[in-house]
Amino acid sequence: MAQVELRRFSADTALYTTAAVFLVTLLLLVSVLVASLRRKKRNTIVILGLSGSGKTALFYQLRDSSLYEGTVTSMVPNEDTFLLHSEISKSGKIKPVHVVDLPGHPKLRPLLDDYLPKAQGILFMVDALDFVPNVRSTAEYLYEVLSKPLVVKRKLPVLIVCNKCDKVTAHSVDFIRKQLEKELDKLRVTRTTLEGSDVAAEIKPGIDGEPFKFSHCVNKVTMVETSVITGKVGEVQTFIREQVKP
Amino acid sequence: MLEQLLIFTRGGLILWSCKEIGNALKGSPIDTLIRSCLLEERSGDRSFRYDAPGASYTLKWTFQNELGLVFVAVYQQFLQLLYVDELLAMVKRDFSAVYSPRKASYRDFDEVYRQLEKEALARGEANKGLNKANRKIEDGSSKNTDLRGGTVLRGSVKGSAGTKGQKDGKEDDSAADHKPAAVVDKAGHENGVTNGKLSSSDEESKPVEVAFDRSKLQKLKAKGGKKTNAVKKEKEDPKKKVKQDRKPWDAPATGKLDYSEPVRDTNDEEVVEVHGKSLVDYEEDEESDDEEAKDEKAPAKKGWFSSVFQSVTGKAALEKADLVPAMKALKDRLMTKNVAEEIAEKICESVAASLLGKKLGTFTRVSSAVKEAMGDALLRILTPKRSIDILRDVKSAKDEGRPYVIVFVGVNGVGKSTSLAKVAYWLKSHELSVLIAACDTFRSGAVEQLRTHAKRLQTTLYEKGYEKDPANVAREAIATAAKTKHDVVLVDTAGRMQDNEPLMRALANLINVNKPDLVLFVGEALVGNEAVDQLSKFNQTLADLSATAKRKPIDGILLTKFDTIDDKVGAALSMVYVSGAPIMFLGCGQSYHDLRRLNVKSIIKTLLQ
Repeated sequence: MAQVELRRFSADTALYTTAAVFLVTLLLLVSVLVASLRRKKRNTIVILGLSGSGKTALFYQLRDSSLYEGTVTSMVPNEDTFLLHSEISKSGKIKPVHVVDLPGHPKLRPLLDDYLPKAQGILFMVDALDFVPNVRSTAEYLYEVLSKPLVVKRKLPVLIVCNKCDKVTAHSVDFIRKQLEKELDKLRVTRTTLEGSDVAAEIKPGIDGEPFKFSHCVNKVTMVETSVITGKVGEVQTFIREQVKP
Repeated sequence: MLEQLLIFTRGGLILWSCKEIGNALKGSPIDTLIRSCLLEERSGDRSFRYDAPGASYTLKWTFQNELGLVFVAVYQQFLQLLYVDELLAMVKRDFSAVYSPRKASYRDFDEVYRQLEKEALARGEANKGLNKANRKIEDGSSKNTDLRGGTVLRGSVKGSAGTKGQKDGKEDDSAADHKPAAVVDKAGHENGVTNGKLSSSDEESKPVEVAFDRSKLQKLKAKGGKKTNAVKKEKEDPKKKVKQDRKPWDAPATGKLDYSEPVRDTNDEEVVEVHGKSLVDYEEDEESDDEEAKDEKAPAKKGWFSSVFQSVTGKAALEKADLVPAMKALKDRLMTKNVAEEIAEKICESVAASLLGKKLGTFTRVSSAVKEAMGDALLRILTPKRSIDILRDVKSAKDEGRPYVIVFVGVNGVGKSTSLAKVAYWLKSHELSVLIAACDTFRSGAVEQLRTHAKRLQTTLYEKGYEKDPANVAREAIATAAKTKHDVVLVDTAGRMQDNEPLMRALANLINVNKPDLVLFVGEALVGNEAVDQLSKFNQTLADLSATAKRKPIDGILLTKFDTIDDKVGAALSMVYVSGAPIMFLGCGQSYHDLRRLNVKSIIKTLLQ
C-alpha cells in the first residue's frame, strides 16, 4: 500500500493530493454522521424575547450565576453547552444543556429558523417592567413563535418568563397573561397573508372561534415570574430540566 | 476626554468598561449604536452621532472579528478627540492578547488601559502638532515662497513639540531668512526632545505589560522605535522638500509651485481621509501594510502544494487584500442586479468590516465566505424592523374609533393611483370599508381615474375637483370618514419630482396637517441609482419640514412594476437601505389582485445569483 502511495507521489503529486482530499472527506463524512446521530437527542433550549428583556443576562445567569459587567444589545446568538451553574457541585453524570440566546432585534429574528429544528424547549422573555408600551411587539413576536409549524407539530413547550419582577412597578404575571392573550387574539384575526409572503406557512394557534387562551395551545405554554438580576431563576432551571432530563 | 470605553462581545456581554471614567452615560448610546448602525450594515462608517435629550455623543468603534469583540469609545460631540482611533486600535491589540472565551472578568486590564490612554494622549498631542505643521506647509508654499524653507521647518518643530502657538510662526517669518541654519539646528534639537518624550512614554507602559506577554512587549518596543523613526522621518521630509524646492530657485517661479503641489496634495488627502489621523499614523500604517504584503507574498512563493495544504487546514486571518477581489466581484454582481452603486459600495464595505481578521474554515474559499456574509447582511437589511401588519393597525385604529389613514407619495408616473386601487381592493377583501380621497388636484383626469376605480371597487370617493388645496381635501375626507364610519382612508397625492421644492413643501404640509398613520412611498422597481436620490430626498423633506417634534418620515415602500424587471430586483435593496423603511407591498401586474408581499429570501437569492 505504501509503495503504491509512493509511486503515485513521484509520478504525479496531484494524485497524491486527491487521495489526501478523499481521506479527509471520508473523515468529515464520518464526523458529520456522528454529529447527526448525536443531534437526535435534542438538548437545546432557545431563549427568545424582545431586545432588552434580559435574554443575555439570563444566559449568563444560568451558566455562570453571574451578570459580570452587564450586557448590551446582542448582535449574534450566544450559545454554549453547559451544566447549569446550580448543578456543578452535584455528583454523578449529568447531561449538559445546550442553551442558545438569540438576539431580540427584529432584523435578527430569522435566525430562529436555524435553531428551532434542534430545540427542545423555548424560553420567551418578557419585560414585566416595561411591558405596556411593548405589548404589541411582544405579542407579535410570541405569535410568530407559537404559530411556527415546528413548534406546533412537535408540541414544543414554551415558558413565558416575566423578567424584572424584583422591581416594585413590575406588572403581575396575571396582568401580562391577560394582555398577551388579548393581543394574540387580535393577531389571529388580522394575521392574513398576501400571496408570496414568507409567513405563508403559519399555523393558527388556539381554538378557532373561541377567544385565545394559552391553555388552548397544543403545546404547553406556562408563565413564570423571575428576576434575572437578583438570580431568582429557579423555576427556569426546573423548566429546563423538565425538557432536558439530566 | 472620553466619556466611556467599552469592550463587549458580539453576543452582547460587556467584558470591560472603564470604571475610572465612571460617568454614567445619558440615554443608551451603545444600544442605539448597535441597533441603528451596526445592525443596519452601516459599520463601514467612521463614526456615529448619538443625539438624545440632554446628551449628544460621538461614538467610534472597531471590531475584532476573529474573537467576535467590539470596542466602542464614547465622547462628547463637541470634542474633537484625535487620539480615539489610535487608542481603540491599541486597546484592541492589547485586549485581544489577554482575551479568552471562558473568562469574563478583566479587571486587571485597568492598569494596561491607563497606560495606553496616556500613550495615546501623548501621541494625539504630537499628531495635533504635526497636523498644524502640515497646514503650515500649505501656508508657506502658497504665500511667500522664498520664506518657505524656514517656515516649514519651524512649523514642524513647533508642531511636534506641541508647545508654541501658530502665532509665533508668523512673527518669526522675517527673521527666518536671516538665519535659516540656526533654525535647522534648533529643529534637530527639538526633534531629539520630542523623540525622547515619545519613547519614554512607551517605556512607561512596558512594566505593566510584562505581566502579560514578553514577545508582545518586544513588538511594542519595536513599534515604538518605528514610531519615533517615523516621526523623525516625517520631520526630515520637510527638509528634503525644501531642498527640492530650492533647486529650481533660478528657474521660473511657476515651475517651483508645481514641485510642491504633489506633496501638498497627499498631505491634504491624508488629513481628510483618515479624519484626524496624522501622518505619523500614516507611516506606521504603511509599514504594517508592507509587512502584511510581505506575509502574503511569502506563502505564494511556496507553490500550489502549500496553497492546497492551506485550503485544507484553513487559512490565517483574512486580510483586506484577500477580500478586495471577492468584494469587487460581489459589488459588480449587485450592480448588475440594479442596486444603486453607492449602496452596493456601502454594503460591501460593511461586510468587509465584519469579515476582516476572521479565520476561514476548512475548504472555504474567500469568495464563498464573502457570499455567505453578504447573504446574512442582506437578510438583515431586508427584514423589516417593525410590524408590517397593516390590518392589525387598522383594527386598533378602529378600536379607538378613528379611521386609519394611508397617504401615497411618489414621483410622477410610478403608479400611485393604480397601487392605491390595488390596496383598496385588498382591504375590501378583508371586509374593511375604504374611502378614497382624491388629493391629486393637479393632473387632469386624476380625479376621474379614481372615480372609475371607486366605481369598480364599489368604494366611496371623496373629491372636491381640481385647483383645491390637497391638504384641506384630505382633512375633510378624513373628517367625513370618521363620521361615516369608514375604516380606512386612502389619500392619493399628485406625483412630484423630488427636487421640486414648492411641491415637496406642499406634500410635507399635507402630512403635517393630517398626521396619517402610514406614509407609503410608491416607487418603481425599474429605477437604479435614481432610487436613492428619490427616496432620500422625500425622506429628508418630510423629516425636515415636519411640524411635530417627532419626525415622521416614510413608513413603508410600495414597489410597483415588479413583474417587468426579471432578475433586476436591486431597487428593492437600494430603497430599503436608504430609508430604513420596509417594503410593504409589491405591485406585480395589471389587475386589482396583483399585489404581493415581499419574499425576502427569494430576493436575496436573486441578488446573489
